[in-house]
Amino acid sequence: MRRDDGVGPAVAEAVRDRLPAGVRVVTLDGEPTRIVETWAGADLAVVVDAVRTGAPPGTLHRWDGASLGALAPPTHPGSSHGLGLREALALGRALDRLPDRLVVLAVEGADFGPGDRPSGAVVAAIPAAAAAVAAEFADAPS
Amino acid sequence: MTHRAGASRTLRVDALTRVEGEGAMYVEIVDGRVADVQLRIYEPPRFFEGFLRGRAHTEPPDITARICGICPVAYQMSACLAIEDACGVQVTGPLAELRRLIFCGEWIESHTLHLAFLHAPDFLGVASAVELAERDRPALERALRLKKAGNDLIELVGGRAIHPVNPKVGGFHRAPSREELLAFADRLRHARDDAVATAAWVAGFDFPDFEVDHELVALSQDDGRYPILGGRLVSDRGLDLAAADFEGAVAEEQVPHSTALHARLLERGNYLVGPLARYSLHHDRLSPLAREVAAAAGLGPVCRNPFRSIIVRAVEVVYACDEALALIDAYEEPDRPALDVPPRAGTGFGWTEAPRGMLWHRYDLDADGTIRHARIVPPTSQNQPTIEHDLFHLTEHHLADDDDTLRHLAEQAIRNYDPCISCATHFLDLQVVRRTSEPCGGS
Repeated sequence: MRRDDGVGPAVAEAVRDRLPAGVRVVTLDGEPTRIVETWAGADLAVVVDAVRTGAPPGTLHRWDGASLGALAPPTHPGSSHGLGLREALALGRALDRLPDRLVVLAVEGADFGPGDRPSGAVVAAIPAAAAAVAAEFADAPS
Repeated sequence: MTHRAGASRTLRVDALTRVEGEGAMYVEIVDGRVADVQLRIYEPPRFFEGFLRGRAHTEPPDITARICGICPVAYQMSACLAIEDACGVQVTGPLAELRRLIFCGEWIESHTLHLAFLHAPDFLGVASAVELAERDRPALERALRLKKAGNDLIELVGGRAIHPVNPKVGGFHRAPSREELLAFADRLRHARDDAVATAAWVAGFDFPDFEVDHELVALSQDDGRYPILGGRLVSDRGLDLAAADFEGAVAEEQVPHSTALHARLLERGNYLVGPLARYSLHHDRLSPLAREVAAAAGLGPVCRNPFRSIIVRAVEVVYACDEALALIDAYEEPDRPALDVPPRAGTGFGWTEAPRGMLWHRYDLDADGTIRHARIVPPTSQNQPTIEHDLFHLTEHHLADDDDTLRHLAEQAIRNYDPCISCATHFLDLQVVRRTSEPCGGS
């Protein structure tokens, strides 16, 4: 319903059948307690979402959890629930529910207005993002 | 950030945290008296009513579930009731009980999210749930477990926890087996223990001495149960309406400072929907355990202190666990997962008690089921004038306080209502302006 914000679920669908056995694909709405519960006990968690950093639309970003943890807490909670991924990280740390390893793959979005599908550059980035997710798990020690 | 210019003082807060959505709060104090309080909603209302026009009469449960990630079931159920009303179909028996069951899951997860992760930090002098988790980890571990039980109940009946896919007009795509539900009962019993402990936890908080005199408005079910789905709309001052008569009794006003509509009862003024109203009107319909927990938490049969709404939510979570267990115990598998709902030309109305209060839907259908017109009145837009009213009086009583204290109290007062602004719009920003009308020397 928020165009480019739908890239996470789109990538999840694209990669669903290409992951090793034992990997769960979960679509979440960004509410931190759900994120934290989903992470609990995982060896590796790959979060896929849309971001806005000023890069060209469709750019694929990759951060690992350690670098995200070093970021200062945001002064403007940006999600519709007043809490976001960084709060989920902090909450997960406080409640011992972080995965052993966390990777965030994010696709640069531009259009977050009402609409039921992402814009062109973001749609074009979905196959590469799905491949990147699959590669994270292919590289992971079994 | 505080800015001083002559005799006027402006205090701006960049983010009103722990309220869902984005928006602004503006308080103006002139000559030591509160002159104006406005909830400023500046994102355009979400265009769901427009999305629905031209769609099939079977689609609103899936479309309106997207309005809110926290209370999708309420949207789905109000939509189903309204469309079934338009088509002359009444869903009863096990299918209606399954609807009540999934609704219990939503009350558990939504109330627990709000009370433990968003509202409790206000009472404990911490900035966020993260800080609270560091200070009182057992309480948040318990809340996380409780919330997950609610989510899992929604998933069990609804197919998934976020925007459930199983509910449909007429019932469900698939009815769960009795064994599936019974297998969940143990989880619910543990959840009920967690809910009782959570209520005792919040009952120990300190509450400002503040009572409101708003008209308390909630649904009243004909079957005598605590209100969740359908029935009539009643109040403590004699209001008694059928769903079809609601829009004739309520005026939704456009106000200059907000793109969200403000609802007022005609010739009665602003009113209050949500946990305080439900509890105060229907305390006698709670389960014995929920009433016992309420009494132990220091609540009488009526609660008019919005700050104590955190206790009322906790009591409603106890009730929702109890009620879900009773529904599972009595569940008999339906013959079919859904009734047929053939379309016909007409208008239908439906309402339910979303966690935040009454949620009303209206649909006008063509003979083939195409939606000609849809109208949705969410609880937050009904409570907005009431929140402004509370802020006005709270600010008046706390004018001597410094801006930080005042700001904290105002934020807390807004969170008393768990405003899901993402339903009505979005939310951020709090601004307090203090000025005098007298000329002053400085610039």
